[in-house]
Amino acid sequence: MVNFTIDQIREIMDRKNNIRNMSVIAHVDHGKSTLTDSLVSKAGIIASSRAGETRFTDTRKDEQERCITIKSTAISLYYELKKSDLQYITQQKDPENRNDFLINLIDSPGHVDFSSEVTAALRVTDGALVVVDCVSGVCVQTETVLRQAIGERIKPVLFMNKMDLALLTLQIEAEPLYQTFQRIIENINVIIATYDIEGNPMGDLAVDPKKGTVGFGAGLHGWAFTLKDFAAMYTKKFGIAEDKLMKRLWGDNFYNNKEKKWDKEPSSGDRGFVKFCLSPIFQVFDTCMKKPKEEAIALAEKMGVKLTAEEKDNQEKGLLKIVMRKWLPAGDALLQMIVIHLPSPVTAQKYRCEMLYEGPQDDPCATAIKTCDPQGELMMYISKMVPTSDKGRFFAFGRVFAGTVKTGIKCRIMGPNFTPGKKEDLYEKNIQRTILMMGRYTEPIEDVPCGNICGLVGVDQYLIKTGTLSTYKEAHNFRTMKFSVSPVVRVAVECKNPSDLPKLVEGLKRLAKSDPMVQCIIEETGEHIIAGAGELHLEICLKDLEEDHACIPLKKSDPVVSYRETVSEESSLTCLSKSPNKHNRLFMRAAPLPEGCAEAIDNGDIAPRQEIKERGRYMADKFDFDVGEARKIWCFGPEGTGPNLLMDVTKGVQYLNEIKDSAIAGFQWATKEGVLCEENVRGVRYNIHDVTLHADAIHRGGGQIIPTTRRVLYACQLTAKPRIMEPVFLVEIQCPEQAVGGIYSCLNKRRGQVFDNQQIGNTPQFIVKSYLPVNESFGFTGDLRSSTGGQAFPQCVFDHWAVMPGDPFDSTSKPGEVVTVTRKRKGMKEGIPALDNYLDKM
Amino acid sequence: MTANFSSPDEDVISRKLDVNSGRNVSKDLLEKFYEIQDCIEWIQKHDYKKIALQMPDELMKDSVPIADKIQSQIEGKVFILGDTSYGSCCVDEVTAEHYNSDCIIHYGHSCLSPTRRIPVKFVFGQSLVDVPDLVSKVKDTFTDKDKLIVLLYDTCYNHAIDAIATELKQHFHNFIVSELSFQSGNGDSNNSCINNSLNDLSKEKSFCKCNRSFKLPLNHSLDSAMMLYIGQENLTLTNLIMTLNKCCFYTYNPLNFELRKESSNVNRMLMKRFYMVEKAKDANIVGIVVGTLGVADYLKVIERLKSLIKQAGKKSYTFVVGKLNVPKLANFLEVDVYVLVACPENTLLDSSEFYKPVVSVYEMEMACNRSRQWTGDYHTDFRDILPDGSDYVPIQDSDMEGTTDVSLITGKLRTIGHVTQPEVTSTSIVPRNEAMAVTTLKAENAEEFFSSRSWKGLEQKLGQTEVSDAVEGKKGIAAGYSNEQN
Repeated sequence: MVNFTIDQIREIMDRKNNIRNMSVIAHVDHGKSTLTDSLVSKAGIIASSRAGETRFTDTRKDEQERCITIKSTAISLYYELKKSDLQYITQQKDPENRNDFLINLIDSPGHVDFSSEVTAALRVTDGALVVVDCVSGVCVQTETVLRQAIGERIKPVLFMNKMDLALLTLQIEAEPLYQTFQRIIENINVIIATYDIEGNPMGDLAVDPKKGTVGFGAGLHGWAFTLKDFAAMYTKKFGIAEDKLMKRLWGDNFYNNKEKKWDKEPSSGDRGFVKFCLSPIFQVFDTCMKKPKEEAIALAEKMGVKLTAEEKDNQEKGLLKIVMRKWLPAGDALLQMIVIHLPSPVTAQKYRCEMLYEGPQDDPCATAIKTCDPQGELMMYISKMVPTSDKGRFFAFGRVFAGTVKTGIKCRIMGPNFTPGKKEDLYEKNIQRTILMMGRYTEPIEDVPCGNICGLVGVDQYLIKTGTLSTYKEAHNFRTMKFSVSPVVRVAVECKNPSDLPKLVEGLKRLAKSDPMVQCIIEETGEHIIAGAGELHLEICLKDLEEDHACIPLKKSDPVVSYRETVSEESSLTCLSKSPNKHNRLFMRAAPLPEGCAEAIDNGDIAPRQEIKERGRYMADKFDFDVGEARKIWCFGPEGTGPNLLMDVTKGVQYLNEIKDSAIAGFQWATKEGVLCEENVRGVRYNIHDVTLHADAIHRGGGQIIPTTRRVLYACQLTAKPRIMEPVFLVEIQCPEQAVGGIYSCLNKRRGQVFDNQQIGNTPQFIVKSYLPVNESFGFTGDLRSSTGGQAFPQCVFDHWAVMPGDPFDSTSKPGEVVTVTRKRKGMKEGIPALDNYLDKM
Repeated sequence: MTANFSSPDEDVISRKLDVNSGRNVSKDLLEKFYEIQDCIEWIQKHDYKKIALQMPDELMKDSVPIADKIQSQIEGKVFILGDTSYGSCCVDEVTAEHYNSDCIIHYGHSCLSPTRRIPVKFVFGQSLVDVPDLVSKVKDTFTDKDKLIVLLYDTCYNHAIDAIATELKQHFHNFIVSELSFQSGNGDSNNSCINNSLNDLSKEKSFCKCNRSFKLPLNHSLDSAMMLYIGQENLTLTNLIMTLNKCCFYTYNPLNFELRKESSNVNRMLMKRFYMVEKAKDANIVGIVVGTLGVADYLKVIERLKSLIKQAGKKSYTFVVGKLNVPKLANFLEVDVYVLVACPENTLLDSSEFYKPVVSVYEMEMACNRSRQWTGDYHTDFRDILPDGSDYVPIQDSDMEGTTDVSLITGKLRTIGHVTQPEVTSTSIVPRNEAMAVTTLKAENAEEFFSSRSWKGLEQKLGQTEVSDAVEGKKGIAAGYSNEQN
């Protein structure tokens, strides 16, 4: 640990070339937090005032109990690079050639249910340390987080973790271990290449041990190395420069011991990596674990590791740990790799600006971001809210991208719904306090310049979860984050006593704020719903709600899912509905949107605010829309953005534009609450074929048109073979071969469909990919564990909406049951209303 | 010419109403059922000259014989009021005033809301109730003789209450009978409604809920009392259950002789109403719908609502639309939520079919008055929240800065109270897609809403429409063109 006063920390913050913001990302259980711990114990900055207090990285009690990270935590590290190593930094360097670095590290959760925390962490960092367990290799979540990182323009470096496990428990030999490393690196580079874009301004992203962007080691034991470390040891012996030697230490470079020469031929000698890197490590392991202690101590001394008398008392594993840690300290190897290879804010913001900032790329904000100018206008992105000890209040946690955030300044707080020139989601407030967040501790600080991460006090109530802060009047927003998971699993909570309702609502609001992904909703039925990414996520949310946020006893329902209503065919007839005064008629038909179109709307490829002609062309090319019709989209819905379209296919209708607002209102209503069971409608286009309107405007007002539009849309839906859609998880299960059978039977019971089953490389591990309805996934993890003897762990990510086979009108079918249950829950009349409620005769 | 624009007048006359006629009162029983002799005495005593008879739709068929009978014995003139403006449970003073009536006789079910202008006589009608059956069933169900039971009933069983009470009081030690309380203009008033006041002499606490008054011994709390209600499931019962939501309810239905525990989940109902409060908090523009012109103090409540809404930083408009229906309220797209000022029984409106939700006065007050806390109590009678009401909470000073929080319905930020709006300037050009300008943003007043509408008036479309010869179009109106068959 490094003790600093706030002034000292503040001083390093100004050296923007010597700052590194990075996240640690990996699959669950690959050892991120353990690795972070070893870094923090070496280089963690604590304010002098806090020195001597208890453990630094402990934040939540349940995190420790479950051995799982739930919230991401930011920690600042301090590192002095060797002056001689400054030459390896290829990006812009500190003008004074200073060698002290400030590293802001965010440790993120690995479980897929909390991957929204990873997204939030990536947004405020520029580099990522991808940790891979060298025994289990690249896993599902590794790919997901890596993909997100590349999408956000975050530069990755790789760390091969758990070498202790490979050596001690699995007893893997040196050459196979090299092969394993090689394969993992290849896998990582394949993923990088898949999601990389051509001409990426970040440059070549592939990780390569020869360049020093791959580290190896054991976080648990606290040792690690890069090839640079070994190259430095041997550079004198060989008389070859460090960087040249590094290239020999990887790949097919073999050292001929007799001739003292490097060769490409495997037969000529030993592989460089095996001989010069792995062999010494194997030797240390061997000596410490199997040989007499004296020999081990002698070896340590020969390597230049000085042990204290106390340390010499350790046995076998304990001794091994200490020797390795002293010989190849993880902190040095990793921090050096991070400092040399990950970008500084100055470097990163140049290419990240266009991805981050929604406004024009030449306005003062964008310019200040690109140049990382502390004198420019303030631009700060708040990525998440961190609860304070003061109940109900939050620190707004985020990254200053431009300018300097100061205690007391007035700034504009812009939420995700802000549009320039409008008042919505815009507030102007003073920043009460600027604080440094170090693990669970906070320290007040006067100001924080761009390129740094900090917390703010006093803006929390003007932000929901995320937002942009600026001092510039015409600033636009930072782009909102895209999460890789969706809140599809829901529970209803109820307080035992109705007088506690305000407490429950207040608790839900706090919960919604404290988690980047969770949704808290009050439904029309009065039910309070919490929606999360998965069962574990919900479990944690409910616990937080009950214990920290609402502090009242709660009744919880079983997890449920929300459904969508859709249609499977075009309406069998052109539906007519007459207005209440019978003076207006609407003729419409519903039809399913082409496959993939609803998803394109979800992704924003087809969006309400696009240019009409461009969108029309895109829809015609991609989804075979008639170009003319595609240009006459009246509206998206529900909420103006949803995956349903209202299209005008009429010809020469009088006063049509006049009822447009009313028709749209009715459309929003009918797509928000479908006719089957008032769930959202998805993937339906409604065509307006003809309209006859009363000549007098007073008889075709909103009151006549809105309810009528709703009725005719319901009639359209009923006549177009309506269907129910359910959310489906993509489940990926990694397991040994003998467990595959158990997985299949477990999935079959739950309507799961396996679509891929592969061996991972030459390992005995298999990966099974399958689709599983979310509704069937409750208790799946436990079920799977028991049917495979605890060998299989699933990762469930929401993937798509799938039409449930069967007719919802048939109450014995699965969708029929869904309709009945949903209608009952919502207190609606039993049975889907008959068509003649909505369809009128000529 | 006008025929081309509207449907023919005959439609209105020949329109059929759906009336569940319920029971038929035979000719011989008319006298007794409608308490005709009572009415005559009342009229003669006060010497009324113009007497209005107000009938609900289902009793309308008996109106003529009743009017005849009364007319034959008095000097004044008797009218029958045709159609009520609002609920038939309320006294329709306005219609009666059109004829300058001196008094109204209100027949049938009543919500007992007090009126101010004209004297009213209530005739509830005397529905049959099998007293021995009721008494034996109650005795069988409640074994604890010390249980505190409060008897409530629908107005039409008022006549039989004394008989029931005497029987049951013998059996139960703590049996309380509620009385209907109504007051009207300068006419006779039954006991007036006094709430929670302590009577030192009798050591009793009196309550008045939903115009029913009863006295509880001091050592018992209202929440521990059991309510026994005589009557069918109707708005009165819902109203009572909502108001006395902490009590346990039993009902006896004289029509099918059934005594049962009301299992309808009060918590659910309260949660639903709480959702309405949240909805009201979300609204920027509030429509105050006047759903009564008879209930006393309705003007005061409207004034209070207006100032509350204004102070909460919202805009209000007042609507008088007669009987509510979906098309009427859907005409005002800009309104986010309506608040209905009506008699207690018509206050809880299921607005799921309405384009925008309709909330009650109490809910609006809850949403706007920041000194008021949700306690789980519910008031259907808006007079409770007026000064002198049982649950009056004064409005806070208006200088307070507004509070911002997240709405759990929209997931967006909302503000209660006034906030200083930041200056909005933008010189950068943002492409605005005219045709796609969907109004997802909430307007703060009607003018702002109008400016965001896509259609703003007649479009000339000069040069955009092809010139063609005139052709003969359809004749008539959309309800049925002349070339169409019915």
